[in-house]
Amino acid sequence: MSKANEKMLNEKTIQKNTLSSREYKYGFFTDIEMERIPKGLNEDVLRLIVEKKGEPEWMLNWRLKAYRHWKTMQEPHWPNFEYGPIDYQGLSYYNAPKKRTDNLKSMNEVDPELVKTFEKLGIPLSEQKRLSGVAVDAVFDSVSVGTTHQAELAKVGVIFCSMTEAIKEHSELVKKYLGSVVPYTDNFFAALNAAVFSDGSFCYIPKGVKCPLELSTYFRINAAESGQFERTLIVAEDSSYVSYLEGCTAPMRDENQLHAAVVELITLDNAEIKYSTVQNWYSGDKQGKGGIYNFVTKRGKCLGKNSKISWTQVEAGSAITWKYPSVILQGDNSVGKFYSVALTNNRMQADTGTKMIHIGKNTKSTIISKGISADESNNNYRGLVKILPSADGARNYSQCDSMLIGNKCRANTFPYIEVKNSTAVMEHEASTSKINAEQLFYLRSRGLDMEGSVSLIINGFCKDVFKELPMEFAVEAVRLLEMKLEGSVG
Amino acid sequence: MILQSERNDSFLEGFEHLDKTIALQSTGWLREFRLKNLSRFNEAGFPTLKDEEWKYLNLEPIISRHYHLTVSTPFTETAALKTYLNPAETNVVFVNGIFSENLSNVRDLPKGVVITTLTEAMTSHRADIENLLKKYPVAQANVFTTLNLALTGNGIFIKLTDKAINKKNIHIVHVTSVKEQNIISAPRSVILIGDSAEASVMETHISFSDDAVYFTNALTDILIAQNGILNYHKAQSESLKAFHIGTTRVWQEKDSNFNGFSFMVGGSITRNNLDVILNGEGASTRLNGLYCTNGTQLVDNHSAVDHREPNGTSNQLYKGILNGASRAVFNGKIFVKPIAQKTNSYQLNKNLLLGKEARVDTKPQLEIGADDVKCTHGATIGQLNEDEVFYLQSRCIAKSDAVKMLSKGFVDDIIDTITDESIHAKLNKLLEPTFAAL
Repeated sequence: MSKANEKMLNEKTIQKNTLSSREYKYGFFTDIEMERIPKGLNEDVLRLIVEKKGEPEWMLNWRLKAYRHWKTMQEPHWPNFEYGPIDYQGLSYYNAPKKRTDNLKSMNEVDPELVKTFEKLGIPLSEQKRLSGVAVDAVFDSVSVGTTHQAELAKVGVIFCSMTEAIKEHSELVKKYLGSVVPYTDNFFAALNAAVFSDGSFCYIPKGVKCPLELSTYFRINAAESGQFERTLIVAEDSSYVSYLEGCTAPMRDENQLHAAVVELITLDNAEIKYSTVQNWYSGDKQGKGGIYNFVTKRGKCLGKNSKISWTQVEAGSAITWKYPSVILQGDNSVGKFYSVALTNNRMQADTGTKMIHIGKNTKSTIISKGISADESNNNYRGLVKILPSADGARNYSQCDSMLIGNKCRANTFPYIEVKNSTAVMEHEASTSKINAEQLFYLRSRGLDMEGSVSLIINGFCKDVFKELPMEFAVEAVRLLEMKLEGSVG
Repeated sequence: MILQSERNDSFLEGFEHLDKTIALQSTGWLREFRLKNLSRFNEAGFPTLKDEEWKYLNLEPIISRHYHLTVSTPFTETAALKTYLNPAETNVVFVNGIFSENLSNVRDLPKGVVITTLTEAMTSHRADIENLLKKYPVAQANVFTTLNLALTGNGIFIKLTDKAINKKNIHIVHVTSVKEQNIISAPRSVILIGDSAEASVMETHISFSDDAVYFTNALTDILIAQNGILNYHKAQSESLKAFHIGTTRVWQEKDSNFNGFSFMVGGSITRNNLDVILNGEGASTRLNGLYCTNGTQLVDNHSAVDHREPNGTSNQLYKGILNGASRAVFNGKIFVKPIAQKTNSYQLNKNLLLGKEARVDTKPQLEIGADDVKCTHGATIGQLNEDEVFYLQSRCIAKSDAVKMLSKGFVDDIIDTITDESIHAKLNKLLEPTFAAL
C-alpha cells in the first residue's frame, strides 16, 4: 500500500471515530411563526385548505370526492409490521410558515430563518450559494417555500414549481395528469392524500428537451402534531429526459408522525425519468419511540413507446417505511427499473419493494433490491412482477439480497410473480446471509478496523444501487449508511 | 360468514348425517376427535381468493359440487392396476378410499416393521397416534386437513421401530374407480420412522379413467425420529376431471433425513401442501417436485420448511412443464427461527412454458430471524431455447421431436435424482401421456 493511501485510510479512521458517537444530525426543530389550522379532518378542513391555497372549484370537488371515498375505506393492516392506531382527527392538516408571501420574485425574499434551516440541512436556497447543476424545490411542512433556478429552466421550457403554483398557472396540464397514475380510489393513504394534500412539486419537460439541471425536492417536517401530505407530479413529453432527486428529514420527537405522499410519473414516447430518493426521516430512538411513519404511494406510468422510468431509493430513515415505487409498462418496448437499498436498525420496520406491471409488448423490467437489517429491526422485501396476456416478449430480472447484522433482526422476502403470457421470460433470485466472515477477516488482516471493513463490505453489497445514484447523492448515501451502522457491528 | 356456511352445507349435502356416521364408525377418543374436527370444519368455511394462502386457487369448481362418501364397490380395473404395481414391492392398495386386502401384498415384513390399517392401529398403537396428533394444534390446520381428520375412519399405519431397516419400497396406492361419480375420499397415511430406522415409501393417487369426477382429500403424516431416514415419493395421476387436495406433514427430529419427491401430472385442480418442520438439530430435508400440465389443468404446490433448530439443511427444487392453457402455482416458504443458526436453505422453482395460454404464479418466500444463515431462493419462467431447437432441427430432427427431447432433458434433471429404479420407472410411465401430447 502506498504512503498516500495509508495516510488517507488513517485519516478516514480518525474521522470515523469522531463520528461514532454522532446521533441523528437533522433532529433539530426550527422555532418559526407558523400558521396552522386546528386539528381534525372534515369537509370544512378541505374547504379551508382550498381557500388558503386559493385553489379553483374543480380542485375542491376532486378533494371532496376523494375524502368521501376515503371515509368508506378501512386502514389496511396486511404488511408484515405492527404499529399503533393513527388518530386522523388528532393531526393538523395545514402548517405553513407565516411570513411567506405568494409569488416570490426571487429566492432572496424567502424568510431568512427558513433559508438558515435549509442551509443547516445542506440545501442552500439563496442565489449565491445554490448548488450548481441542481434546482431545488424546498417543502417545509405543508407548503413549498421556494424553488430555485426557475428562470434558467423556463428558458428551455421546463416547468418546475410548487404544486400550488402549478394548479393556478398550468391548470390544464395538472387537470390532465393529476390522479391519472394514482387515482384517489387506489388505496387508503392515496385517498387521504388526495383529499388533504397541501403542496408538492410539479415538473413538466416539453418535447425533445433534456433537462439541463437535476431537479430536486427537499422535504422537511418541522411542526409537531402534524402530518405531511405532499404530491409530486412529473410529466415527461416525447423524447425528453429528466433526473429528479428527493430528500427528506424531520426533527426528533417522541410521537410518531405520518407522512403520506403520492408521487406520479408519466413518460410519453421515448421519454425517460430517473427518480432518486435518499430518505432519512427521523427513525425513532433505540427503544423504537417516535419516528416517522412513511406510508407513500409512488408509481410511474410508461405511457409512450420506448419510454423509461427508473426508481432508485436509499431508505435509511423512518420508524416504518411502507412503500412500493412501481412502474406500469404500458407503451411497447418500455423499460422499468428499480434499485433499492433499505437499511433498518434499532427497532425500525420496513416493508418495501416494487411492482412491475407489464402491459405493452417487449417491455423490460429490472429489480435490484438490497436489504440490510441490524439490531432489532424488521426488514421486508415485497414485490410484484405481473406479466399480462398482452405483454408478448416481456422480460424481467429480479434480484433481492438481504444481509443480517446481529441475531435479533429479521429479513423477509415476499416476491409475487404472476405470468399470464407464455412468451415471457423472467428470472428471480434472492439470498439472505450475514456478512461474510472470510471477507471480514481478510480486510482486518490488511489493517482495516472492524467498522472500516464492514463499511467496505456493505458498500460493495450495495454498489449496484449506488452507481445508479447521481454523484452527490451517492456520496451522501454511502455516508448515511456508515453513520447508521456505527455501533451495530462488533 | 353466512355465505360461507351455506356453501359448506351444500358441499356436505350428500352426507349430512356425517356426525351419526362418525358415531357409528368410531368409538372413544377417536370419535370425539373426529366430531371435534367436524364441528370445526362446519364453522370454518372455505377460504376464498382473498385468503393469502389460496390467492391463486379458485375453489369454486370443487366446493360447488355435491359429493358422496365412498362405499365399497367391486373393482374391475385389476388388469390396469397390475401393470402399474411391482409385485416385488410391498403394495398397499385402497380402492375408493377402502383398503383392499386382495390387491395388497403385505407380508414377509422384516423385523420391526409394522403395516396395518389405521383402524387397527388406533387400538394397537394408540399412544403413537395420540403423540402424533398432539404435535399439530387443531386450530392451525387448514380446512381440508380438518375435513380429512373428520372423515378418516380408514387409512394406513406404517411404523418402523428403532434401528429397523426396510430396503423394500412400500407402495401405497389409492385408486379411484370410475363406477361411481362425485365421490369424496379421504386417504390418510401415518408413517413413523424410529431412531436410526430407514424406509422408502411411495404413495400413488391414480385413476384409470380420465372422465371420473371425484374429490380426493388426502393427508399424510410423517414423523422421523433421531437419525431416521425416509425416502418418500408422492405421485398424483388422478383423472383429468378429478380434484385433489393433499397435505403432507413431516416432523423431523435431530439428524434425521427426509427425502421427498412430489410428482403431479393428473387432476383438474390439484393442491399439494408439503409442510416440513425441522425440530431437531442437524436435520436435513430435500423436497423435489415435478409437475406437468396440459389443457386447463391447475397444479398448486405449496411447500413450507420451518427451521426450528440450528444446523439444519433444506434443499428444494420444483420444476414444471406447462402445456395448453394450464396453470401452475408455486409457493415455497422458508422460515428460520431466531435460534436456528447455521441453517442452509435453498429453493428453486423452474417453469417451462410450452402452451400459448399457460400461466404461472410463483411466490418463493423467505422469513429469516437468525443471522448466521445461508438462504437463497430463485424462480425462473421461460421457454425452450430457440437455438437449441434450431440445432436439433439442423441435425434432421423434426421440430416436435426436438421439443420432446429438450423437454425430456428438462424433466430428467430432476427425475434422475431418484435412485430407486422401480420408482423411477413408475414415474416415467406416468409421464408418457405428457410427452405424447407435446
